[in-house]
Amino acid sequence: MTPVIQMIDISKTFPGVQALDGISFDILPGEVHVLVGENGAGKSTLMKILSGVYSPTSGRIICNGHEYSSLTTQMSYEEGIAVVYQELSVINELSIMENLFVGRLPTVKKLGISVVNYKLMEAKAREVFAQVGIRHEPDTLVGDLAIPDKQLCEIAKALISGARVLVLDEPTTSLTEAEVERLHKLIRELTSRGCSVVYISHKMQEIKKIADRITVLKDGKHVGTYPAGEVTLDEIIKLMVGREIKGTYFAGESAQELCRHPVIFEVRDISRSDGRCRDVSFQLHEGEILGMAGLVGAGRTETMEAIFGAVPKSAGQVFLRGKELHIQNPYSAIRQGIGMLTENRREQGFARNFSCKQNISLVPYIKESTAGGLGGLLDNRKEQAWAQEQVDRLSVKCTSPEQMTADLSGGNQQKVILGKWLAAESEVLIFDEPTKGIDVGSKSEIYMLMRNLAKQGKGVIMVSSEQTELLSVCDRIAVFHMGELKAILDGKTATEEEIVKISTGE
Amino acid sequence: MSQTTLQRKKLNFASFWQRFGTISIMLLLLVVLMIAKPKAIFSSSSVPQILRQSAVNILLALGEFFAILLGYIDLSVSSTCGFTGMVAAIGMAYWGMPWILACLMGVLVGTLIGAINGFLINKTGLHPFIITLGMQTVYFGLMLVISNSSSVYGFPSGFTSFMNGTVLGFLPISAIIALVAAMILWFVTTKTKMGRNLYALGGNREAAWYSGINVKRHQMVVYMISGTCAGLAGMVLVGRLNAAAPTAAIGYETYAIAAAIIGGTSFFGGIGKIRGVVAGGLIIGIINYGMTVLMIDSSLQKVVMGALIIIAVTIDHFVTKSSKKA
Repeated sequence: MTPVIQMIDISKTFPGVQALDGISFDILPGEVHVLVGENGAGKSTLMKILSGVYSPTSGRIICNGHEYSSLTTQMSYEEGIAVVYQELSVINELSIMENLFVGRLPTVKKLGISVVNYKLMEAKAREVFAQVGIRHEPDTLVGDLAIPDKQLCEIAKALISGARVLVLDEPTTSLTEAEVERLHKLIRELTSRGCSVVYISHKMQEIKKIADRITVLKDGKHVGTYPAGEVTLDEIIKLMVGREIKGTYFAGESAQELCRHPVIFEVRDISRSDGRCRDVSFQLHEGEILGMAGLVGAGRTETMEAIFGAVPKSAGQVFLRGKELHIQNPYSAIRQGIGMLTENRREQGFARNFSCKQNISLVPYIKESTAGGLGGLLDNRKEQAWAQEQVDRLSVKCTSPEQMTADLSGGNQQKVILGKWLAAESEVLIFDEPTKGIDVGSKSEIYMLMRNLAKQGKGVIMVSSEQTELLSVCDRIAVFHMGELKAILDGKTATEEEIVKISTGE
Repeated sequence: MSQTTLQRKKLNFASFWQRFGTISIMLLLLVVLMIAKPKAIFSSSSVPQILRQSAVNILLALGEFFAILLGYIDLSVSSTCGFTGMVAAIGMAYWGMPWILACLMGVLVGTLIGAINGFLINKTGLHPFIITLGMQTVYFGLMLVISNSSSVYGFPSGFTSFMNGTVLGFLPISAIIALVAAMILWFVTTKTKMGRNLYALGGNREAAWYSGINVKRHQMVVYMISGTCAGLAGMVLVGRLNAAAPTAAIGYETYAIAAAIIGGTSFFGGIGKIRGVVAGGLIIGIINYGMTVLMIDSSLQKVVMGALIIIAVTIDHFVTKSSKKA
């Protein structure tokens, strides 16, 4: 079979960094080609070359028999390549159908003036809606859609533009398992019609299910391309990280034993006035990691926000080592030893105009400040020490602590955010989806770190949508459904089926 | 290969521009003036003249800088400047207050105005553009009310001689006031936690909130700083004109915003330096001085000023854009 696209010996150098080093990559018609690698391995850079955002320093690209030394976004579009990025690029203020045709609105002459042909748009939109399974009216505002539906919009947009090669960059980070199933079904339908899919993901279970071929990148180099049937997941992980990763991160003691330890942190009957969490109570014991499971919007993050003071709570109490805390906002939470790693790195995690050092020192500075966060002087030596300690401890890949956080890869940005909470020496740390969009190597580092924090007597809470992760890390798992905490399971004996059952209310 | 060298060249130019762009514009303007009107530059009165003209711009721009640093704006600085000047003038001329006390009152009224702006912004949650646009007119109207729409003059001689005095023969007191304010605010932005928090807020408000920064409290302080600076500018302006005229400060917010932007402050927030703002204020002062000595008609001066602002910001925009693209 002739490949639709061949990228031959592609290299890309940025000032001071060799991002890609002689990578060859091809895409066959109708295949799902999975691209894996640790953060910073070069997956996104390679795809940005394919979509014409970057031009390669050297190498050739052959699309449908045409040879290029570099593509522009326009050329890439004309060759039928479409990329759906992790950060969706739909326009919330427009309707779904307007989003599908944005920049290429069909027109019709009326009284000699070209006006938008809404009839044609609607007809075409309905056609593609049926294909991808969007169950909304074409004139619905995209802003009113949930994230999975927005993603379908992007795919629909690609199809309408006649894309033959669809690149999905971590498409499932914000999806529940049922939604992932639906997406995979759609991908299969598309490939059966001859469309090719490049699928970038960190979720190993998914990769095994969907892949026809798997290409592994490491440090900007091509490790190999394998038919999916011929490699095991463990082998792929080994190729990606160059070492074996242990499967579980449990404490040495059982959940029953841990529950006999003193209570570090306790939450009693927390409710929010918007009703998104109601009467949630739990205890956290010394040495344990408590997991929070449930569907998106079931009340996990919502409860954590209320505990942390980011959203006001309408009722409930919070205790740290038996002493009641009075938390009105994140400032007072931090001052009393509570920390929260938020789910959205980009929106809530770090300041784009700050270096790693400045981002890391933000929280410890706040913790030591006076006059409600206004008072106090900067201390360059302290700042340097905080940053260097965390960069070393978390092995953040950066040229120096002075490097801009925004210039790091996603996983390393996450480590910087983690660093600011560690530098502040929080007593209780809430991790909300700490491994979202992060490669397996960094994931295991973060699990180890959480376990070590728990061992040191810190309270550790992990909110996650990945059940396999909860089941391999947490000593106990609290399951949420419709804003209520329904059950707390023993992490070692619980099963995925059990969690799904409770979280879907069956 | 050739492409990479080109990119490197561009990058170097960009970093040069970021560091010295504002200074380059200033020198360029001075050279143009030297060629066009050598007498105006090489006379003994030129430097004090430029500094005196720049002092009000610098003071207003310093306050505006903080609002822009948060990704906001303060459109009320011009009428705050006019209103506080009028308050102090009335204190001196009609109520017989000692001039130091009257000036202190004027500056404090500026702080109070800033606090009112901050309070309204925090309480309503509206964009500061709307709040300060409305308040600009409110303060202007209040000034007309208290002054009966006419100029106030007849100040104690101590005030006049202080405000128009010089140190070492060429440093006007008004410029020293601006310089001291700049130094204090430089300290705030570079050495205090609050300053750092403001940059974080400008860079990512939500991340700053989750990192424990009290957004409203900082917004309040920013508008109080802006009001105080406008109050200081009001005193300097009354001193320079030796009168408080109701129309004196009209349109000054444009110069303040322009000075901050020309000085390298990002309109999107989170990026900017005090020394850039001072240079930006000086540039506005040089342009004003240059046009006066070149006998450009005062109406035409506004046209030139507007065009120059757009040119300077355009160059800045393209240079930063090309440096990001590489």
